[in-house]
Amino acid sequence: MRSLATTLAIAMEVTLILMVIGLTQGMIRETTSRMKGIGADIVMQPPNSSVVLAASSAVLPVDKFVNLLQGIEGVSAVSPVLVFWNTEKGSELIFGIDPESFNQISNGFLFLDGKGLEGEFDVLIDDIKASSKKQKVGDPFPFLNRTFRICGIVEHGKGSRVFVPLKTLQSLVGSPGRATLMFLKCPSEEQINPTVARLQQRLPGYQIRPMGEFVSQMSEAFNSDVALRYFLAIVKFIATVVGLFAIFLAMYTAITERTREIGILKSLGASKTYILTVFMEEAFLLCLLGFVFGIALSYFGVWAVGHWSKNLPILLTREWIFKAGLITLASASIGAFYPAVRAANRDPIDALAFE
Amino acid sequence: MKIILEAENVTKKYRIGKVDVPALRGVSFKVREGEFISVMGPSGCGKSTLLHILGGLTHPSTGRVVIDGEEISSAKDAHRTSIRRRKIGFVFQRYNLLPTLSAQGNLEIARHIYGDGKRDSGRIAEILALLGLDNKIRHKPSELSGGEQQRVAIARAIVNQPAILLADEPTGNLDSENSDLVLKMLQDLNRQLNQTIIMITHNPEAAAVANHLIEMRDGRIVPHEHDVSWSPTEDKLCI
Repeated sequence: MRSLATTLAIAMEVTLILMVIGLTQGMIRETTSRMKGIGADIVMQPPNSSVVLAASSAVLPVDKFVNLLQGIEGVSAVSPVLVFWNTEKGSELIFGIDPESFNQISNGFLFLDGKGLEGEFDVLIDDIKASSKKQKVGDPFPFLNRTFRICGIVEHGKGSRVFVPLKTLQSLVGSPGRATLMFLKCPSEEQINPTVARLQQRLPGYQIRPMGEFVSQMSEAFNSDVALRYFLAIVKFIATVVGLFAIFLAMYTAITERTREIGILKSLGASKTYILTVFMEEAFLLCLLGFVFGIALSYFGVWAVGHWSKNLPILLTREWIFKAGLITLASASIGAFYPAVRAANRDPIDALAFE
Repeated sequence: MKIILEAENVTKKYRIGKVDVPALRGVSFKVREGEFISVMGPSGCGKSTLLHILGGLTHPSTGRVVIDGEEISSAKDAHRTSIRRRKIGFVFQRYNLLPTLSAQGNLEIARHIYGDGKRDSGRIAEILALLGLDNKIRHKPSELSGGEQQRVAIARAIVNQPAILLADEPTGNLDSENSDLVLKMLQDLNRQLNQTIIMITHNPEAAAVANHLIEMRDGRIVPHEHDVSWSPTEDKLCI
């Protein structure tokens, strides 16, 4: 029973690490893959802006830049987007788009229900948001003290989960005629890099990157975010401490319960190293069982969370399964060491007399 | 005959609170290879303490103990453990078998501790057969009678061919039939394998199977006319 409880505690440690890290990694991958899915070739942002869109401000004058960019060789389409970080009832990025130019860039949405943005307070949502919030076409969508109406449900993967008309969003956030960034399309893949070079020459200081590079920097920025790193470090620390105490208590109880056995081994001439090894091996075996069970539990968790909400992608990577194994091994080693040393140092006569 | 054990003026004091309580007050004797010796005496006379010191489970306060040419009394813990592993076999009143292991497993762990990594199933089977346990090798202690458990404990004690077998009340928990069986086996081991044995017992009948008797009282050996002779030149009891 004690071994089972210890195995479960270690499995929980592994699951905690893999699920939290997996959720973070999954969210990052899902966000970047949605950005890639827009279909733009180049992303242009104002000087000193962040690749983390939630931290970007709307300072690009739309008309000026659309005209200017369309006149540059290699640019076949330009779509201004105003990004708004909505923190009402959670946190999500909302794209204010010009439907016509956004369709040129993205080859259009795939509509699963309803139609495109036509009215001032129309909103498009993707299928994942619709299913997670159980929303359908015609339902109200309260946002920035206005009630939008869901006009269509589109397939996910085009940047955001929520799209509203650009002009409406500009007006509501007090940035008329402004955009956060511009998505650009080139006639062919070969023209992307030369066009980026031309744009950088024409607009020095502006952040102009091919989409691949933008997405890669975005992923890097998320991963190197200090708050996220602290958060993950705390999760790993808590998981390690949980595992450490689980093993410590299990082994401490084991040596108390098996004091007499320790005395027997000593009477047979078992050295301190031998007894230490016996208990450390037992701890490592429990650690291995807990680790394997924890991986199974994590995969089950991924399935269960995916079944419950498609909005929470969890990514289990081999790298993190390996790291979780190392963390578990470290906590098992530290947790088992003191009880094992205590067992090895027991007086044989006292141990043999133990009832 | 070769001297296998030599105890010289062994004393042991236990500190209880602020008082030193003497358990042994200067015990000296020699045991030759192949001898079977019983140690008798009332409770608290120091028999078990003597056995623990002879087996290297504890240090004497003063004096020295030499087992098969190696001084165990002043050895550091690791060396005492090594001597115990190589030269001493223990049999206890409460059998002290590892409960999760079978009879064979209990013998195998003794071999493993001894350092014989190879599975010496031949030697183990031979000893279990010698002690009439060949049909019980896969049984766990809980599936064996007291007598059978004690025989497994004896098998475990001799599996590494120790220089000396120390038995602490080996029949103390057994009925008379099983006691007789265990004593007969100890006697056979002594006669057939020339196994040196020191056995502590309360039971005069058990003590009688030994070749020699040491009687103890108040932490000292009581000289015995018949089979314990005083050796004035060496100033110690010589059996």
